[in-house]
Amino acid sequence: MKKVSIWSRTIGALGQAWAIAVKDLRTYYFNPPMVMFGLIMPVLLFFSFSVRRGTELSPQLGIINLSSMILFFTASTAGPVILILERRTRTMDRLMTAPLSMSCLLFGKAMVGLVFAVSVDLIPIIIGITIFKVRIQNPPLLAGAVILSAMSFSALGVWFGSFPVRSVGNVMMPSTLLRWPLLFVSGIFIPLSNLPKWVRVVSYISPLTYAHDAIKHAVTGSGSQSLILDMMILPFFLVLFLLLAIRLYRRVRKLGY
Amino acid sequence: MDNNGLTAIEIRGLTKYYGKFLAVDDVDFDVGRGEIFGFLGPNGAGKTTTVMMITTFLEPTAGSIRIHDYELPKESIEARTLMGIVPEESNVYTELTAEGNLRFTGKIYRMSRKDRNKRAKELLDIFGLTEKAHTKVQEFSKGMRRRLTVAMALMHNPKILFLDEPISGLDVQSARYIKKLVRDLNKSGVTIFLTTHQIEVANELCHRVAIIDRGRIATIGTPDELKGSIESVQIVEVSFKTPEDSKIPSLSGINGVNHELRSGSIFRLYTDNPTEVIPSVIDFSREHGLSLKSLNTLGSSLEDVFLKITGQEVGLVTGMYGDEKSPIRKRGKGRMGK
Ligand SMILES: Nc1ncnc2c1ncn2[C@@H]1O[C@H](COP(=O)(O)OP(=O)(O)O)[C@@H](O)[C@H]1O
Ligand SMILES: [Mg+2]
Repeated sequence: MKKVSIWSRTIGALGQAWAIAVKDLRTYYFNPPMVMFGLIMPVLLFFSFSVRRGTELSPQLGIINLSSMILFFTASTAGPVILILERRTRTMDRLMTAPLSMSCLLFGKAMVGLVFAVSVDLIPIIIGITIFKVRIQNPPLLAGAVILSAMSFSALGVWFGSFPVRSVGNVMMPSTLLRWPLLFVSGIFIPLSNLPKWVRVVSYISPLTYAHDAIKHAVTGSGSQSLILDMMILPFFLVLFLLLAIRLYRRVRKLGY
Repeated sequence: MDNNGLTAIEIRGLTKYYGKFLAVDDVDFDVGRGEIFGFLGPNGAGKTTTVMMITTFLEPTAGSIRIHDYELPKESIEARTLMGIVPEESNVYTELTAEGNLRFTGKIYRMSRKDRNKRAKELLDIFGLTEKAHTKVQEFSKGMRRRLTVAMALMHNPKILFLDEPISGLDVQSARYIKKLVRDLNKSGVTIFLTTHQIEVANELCHRVAIIDRGRIATIGTPDELKGSIESVQIVEVSFKTPEDSKIPSLSGINGVNHELRSGSIFRLYTDNPTEVIPSVIDFSREHGLSLKSLNTLGSSLEDVFLKITGQEVGLVTGMYGDEKSPIRKRGKGRMGK
């Protein structure tokens, strides 16, 4: 056997993860549940809860809210849709018996949500800049915040998708019930400073809080909490959700599906 | 065959519980490099479960697995590069083209772009899919999907090819094609591990066969050895002229009968000593007022070995007298505590 350096092994693993992501993007981009839960739902939610308050909502805040909601829903939808379909058609067996680690496989799956969400999120941001003339205070920070947020939300979706169930609905419903309330505690519909104390405590465990605040920092130049905190917690969630997903896959390997 | 004494697969004490249900029960066997090894058993015997454990998809409850020089699960990733897997059901990406499926497989097996393209072309050609290379698999027939599944398993030139029920459900022509392919691959040095519930497939293709039943290996040998092992065992086939089959009592009480299978008014009696059994059968029918239609002795075939061990399969229906008379033990509970 040839001795392979850690460096070239890592490059190889990233190549495999990327191959999985590219395949999934090609295969599942226009899958109906993906469009329904990942695109239509956040836009509907935005217009029914945010815009209703009409005059108070500046275009600036509209961009911040809509773009963090789209990131949240779109990125976290890819995981369950793709993973459960792959398990049902048993193509997941292929990936699980190919020479790559589970973490590499799931990282590839997380990249799907990332690419999907970031590309969809460009739409409100571009509309905001061109039509509503919103000025972005710190464009590189915005790019970083969007990518980091999408990564951790996508990993959240991978975790949802790793529960050993066979139908997309079995995961979509509970995960939707879990995600909706987060919109109310994460500073989107109600600003963090207006939250009652105990809800503010809950907001700290929601990744959406940090994503929304980081984007706010980038767009307006200031936020409701420390930017450094936001940018450090998001990768932490990414790692946490992937580790939880890997644990669930140990169960899948015991159950045989 | 290029079996130079090295093992391709070494299995010891392999056991799998699904919850409390024992699907594979303390199985041991070796497969030599260059061998065509068959796992023969009725549906639900534990064949697929065993293959899924060897190919690292499923985690065993207990036991050890070695693939060439790699120990599972520690060296799973290395072992996976040696294995090609054709599962029971064709699992191809229907949204991708035939070529897309092959290239994707090449990527996750870390083949270079040049190798991927070359190998994909080669396989499309071998499997008669060149014309359909750029068609989405959605439109493929069952047989075409099967061929593509096999092609994908061969993409990275595996040393061991696993085929789970490769022939079942295929038309005669496709079946013949797969058999030829297995032999050709084997000639080129690939070890083959296949499962089947069809005796003919095992008999025709395999160098050695393990008969698995209810999660246990009943016997292992070459098809000839297995036939030879029951040469001492003979079958006496009896049929009666009666208006009502159900009126005929069981013949299993006759001295020298080890095991009985019946289908309507036809009985197969397994015995070591036909000369003792035949007169007793005649006495028995006289006693019960039955008239004999025919009385034959039969030699052993691989089917008989299988029948004797598993108590089931074609033609003869077992269990008509309930399970206590049939050799089929009740599954699960009885064998759980180890
Ligand atoms: N994932 C599973 N969970 C629970 N039981 C299973 C599972 N897979 C198979 N079984 C059971 O284990 C036994 C062996 O199944 P299998 O290995 O598929 O047999 P075969 O391939 O020989 O037909 C069967 O009784 C089957 O119902
Ligand atoms: Mg099977």
